[in-house]
Amino acid sequence: MKMNLDDPKLTAYALGELDEPERSTIAHAVAKSAEAQRLIDEIQELAGALKNEFATELEKEMPALAGSHSVGGSRSLIDIRDDPWFWLIARPLAIAAVLALLAVVSGVAVFSLRRENVRVAHSVGLPPAAVPSRPADVQAEFQMPTEVTASPAVTPSAQLPFTAVAAKMAKQGGTKGGSSNYSLAQAPAHAVGGVERFRGIREPSGEFNTAAYDHIVENPFLDAKNNPLSTFSIDVDTASYSNVRRFINEGSLPPKDAVRVEEMINYFTYDYSQASDDKPFAVHVDVASCPWEMSHRLVRLGLKGKEIATDKRGSSNLVFLLDVSGSMTPPQRLPLVKQAMRLLVEKLTENDRVAIVVYAGASGSALPSTTGDHKEQILQALEDLQAGGSTNGAEGIQLAYKIATDNFIKGGVNRVILATDGDFNVGVTSQGDLIRLIEEKAKSGVFLSVLGVGTDTLKDSTMQKLADKGNGNYAYLDSLDEARKVLVQQMNGTLVTIAKDVKIQVEFNLARVASYRLIGYEKRMLRKEDFNNDKVDAAEIGAGHTVTALYEVVPVGATNPAASVPPVDPLKYSSNDRSTSTRSSSSNEMLTVKLRYKKPDGDKSELVERAVTDTDGKFENAPVDLKFAAAVAEFGMILRDSKYKGNGTLAAVLEWAQEGRGGDANGYRAGFIELVRKAQALKRG
Amino acid sequence: MRSEKIEPGQNVEEVLQRFEVPLLQYAARITGDRERARDVVQETFIKFHRNGALSREGETATWLFTVCRNGALNVCRKERRMMYLDEEVIEARESEQPMPFDQLEQQEAAGFLLRIVAALPARQQEVIQLKFQNDLSYQQIAEIMKTTANNVGVLLHTALKTLRQRYGQLAGDFIPFKPRTTE
Repeated sequence: MKMNLDDPKLTAYALGELDEPERSTIAHAVAKSAEAQRLIDEIQELAGALKNEFATELEKEMPALAGSHSVGGSRSLIDIRDDPWFWLIARPLAIAAVLALLAVVSGVAVFSLRRENVRVAHSVGLPPAAVPSRPADVQAEFQMPTEVTASPAVTPSAQLPFTAVAAKMAKQGGTKGGSSNYSLAQAPAHAVGGVERFRGIREPSGEFNTAAYDHIVENPFLDAKNNPLSTFSIDVDTASYSNVRRFINEGSLPPKDAVRVEEMINYFTYDYSQASDDKPFAVHVDVASCPWEMSHRLVRLGLKGKEIATDKRGSSNLVFLLDVSGSMTPPQRLPLVKQAMRLLVEKLTENDRVAIVVYAGASGSALPSTTGDHKEQILQALEDLQAGGSTNGAEGIQLAYKIATDNFIKGGVNRVILATDGDFNVGVTSQGDLIRLIEEKAKSGVFLSVLGVGTDTLKDSTMQKLADKGNGNYAYLDSLDEARKVLVQQMNGTLVTIAKDVKIQVEFNLARVASYRLIGYEKRMLRKEDFNNDKVDAAEIGAGHTVTALYEVVPVGATNPAASVPPVDPLKYSSNDRSTSTRSSSSNEMLTVKLRYKKPDGDKSELVERAVTDTDGKFENAPVDLKFAAAVAEFGMILRDSKYKGNGTLAAVLEWAQEGRGGDANGYRAGFIELVRKAQALKRG
Repeated sequence: MRSEKIEPGQNVEEVLQRFEVPLLQYAARITGDRERARDVVQETFIKFHRNGALSREGETATWLFTVCRNGALNVCRKERRMMYLDEEVIEARESEQPMPFDQLEQQEAAGFLLRIVAALPARQQEVIQLKFQNDLSYQQIAEIMKTTANNVGVLLHTALKTLRQRYGQLAGDFIPFKPRTTE
């Protein structure tokens, strides 16, 4: 039977107002129609948001009445309200955030808003058949909080940054088209606030801080004698830089663990020349004095993936997997993704295929695999996408992989591109299962790219993990600019993998090197045995990609307490006399770089090796790219407040970045310089 | 907020605590005036006190909202606020004032959705408020508004449809691409 979607009964059903047998009849019909399911999701989500806002409206009245008579008791309290943390910190902040017109940006306050809504989310992600039970769950969670918080001490101070951002948002909004009926100066700020509320019904999380950043313990200085080998996987992710940029542009310094130095360095492309041989990439090494600690040496390893002209690349079979849950509504989320995809679609040809899978309460295909010459059709499908619903990522990802596999192009690019603002509510599937699925599919040649958008729910660590397991990359889109960079300018690199499982092992010459420290790459460290073990997975390099790693090296003879390595007792049974090492005494070489990689469809790794001699070059005379990379690294270390940041200051970072700016065709380095200035102002302020 | 089962024999104080703010909001939305709303709610409670606690489950809420509504509508009539006088005519028309209470406008932040709600026809606003602020059933709302559950369903359905559309519209506007500044 064809369903009438404009039937008040559907609304009644969505709100749990129908009695049997009507309820079952509708439930049956709904189960058969994806459209109806989406509608129901939307209604329920809207209902949740309305309840939320109405509850807030009531809540705000409460303090005003508190003086006139006692309000309290234990009525209609949901369980988290028993949590003292919630009362002391989260609630006041939540209220402050609401009062301050905006609940978007970073900071604890926003996360606390989410916390308030967290429990609701346990009702989402049910299989479609169970959907009718949701209204009850949702209602239960939106009970009116009847207790009063008195929080004058926290409120005013927490308000300030939000007001500033609200003003900024309002300004930004002023540039958009005037199609809204609301005052332009106010609407965007409210829009954001509303959206944040609207999202309350989304995915579950057991954490307070729902923007999850894994804690990073920085690589220490290692004694070259006991650790002559340094082994790690390359990293082509860039998300951390755009995320850091978002924080700073919104007026706050990023949380330490959101700063991954290697991703910041690798955000920028460096002008390394391509391999002249048939190797998929070229290796470049430079050594100069270390600008933040002049007695040390800074070693830069640079990899450059072979460029493949856009018209030479193989055909692409792309499946976009889009999160269309309600929280994706703000302009910087789904609309941004859509915009970015439009840019990409323009570049596709009849040899390419695109499919779109959406996931929310129920997942479904929004566009079957379609060749790139049917642009109209693809663009229309994109146009029709609307945010609304709750997340069930697992089903969506399975469907996406299925479509990718069904349309597999041998020798081409086969890729699932996931765009989301949050983690997956994996429903029945655990994260482990999901990762296994992605890993397995990666082996079959379908890779995964992850595009992160949005702010507070960003599951940074999960996304990074997924992209890694899926032989893919993870980028954070904070602007259309960034989307253009990731999807269009670097389309080849993003989409065409030219070598996989790329590992680096550096062997240091004990006669030259006392100790060393790899800057960043903390999550990419491998055991020295892993280097030659082809079973151990590592990251991929895409066409035209550059990958840069920096080592801070303490030469033999240099002394600096900051770089001192905890002493280890001398070995009793093996000689550790430096002069007895095989080549060290006779060699001027500082280190040897070894690389292992596999062809994208290969199982056996190939080895590239290169010895490096330090010619005592000074930083002043170093190549511009090295200067710039050093500036970015130091900037990251300062933001992390790293104990290894040495004598560097933001002013010095600026200076090095200026010197290292070079051609800067895309203006990215100018953008960095601007960002450092903003950070300077924030630090001062 | 979940409508609570009202136990027999409960005292007025408890009912006051439980319903004061919701009623205040309800009356404020109808009258568009917080001072008047306060008077209406006070009167409502005085009446409740006189009539004594009601014994049937769920009836307290219905009773209070009905009395409160009548009081609020009386205020509108007395003060010639046309909004509710000819309900059937007005139903078809959008509320002219996007936000009826200015005071709130300055204080409130998150009320983005509420703002869109405030632009709905009056009776749709009312249904939305009773349903989502007070979690009353279609049947209860019908009783309060002196109409049928069916009509409540239609009002709510229409209102939600409009809200979804407007919400989508607003969110669909895209902040245009800003070229990167090069120095």
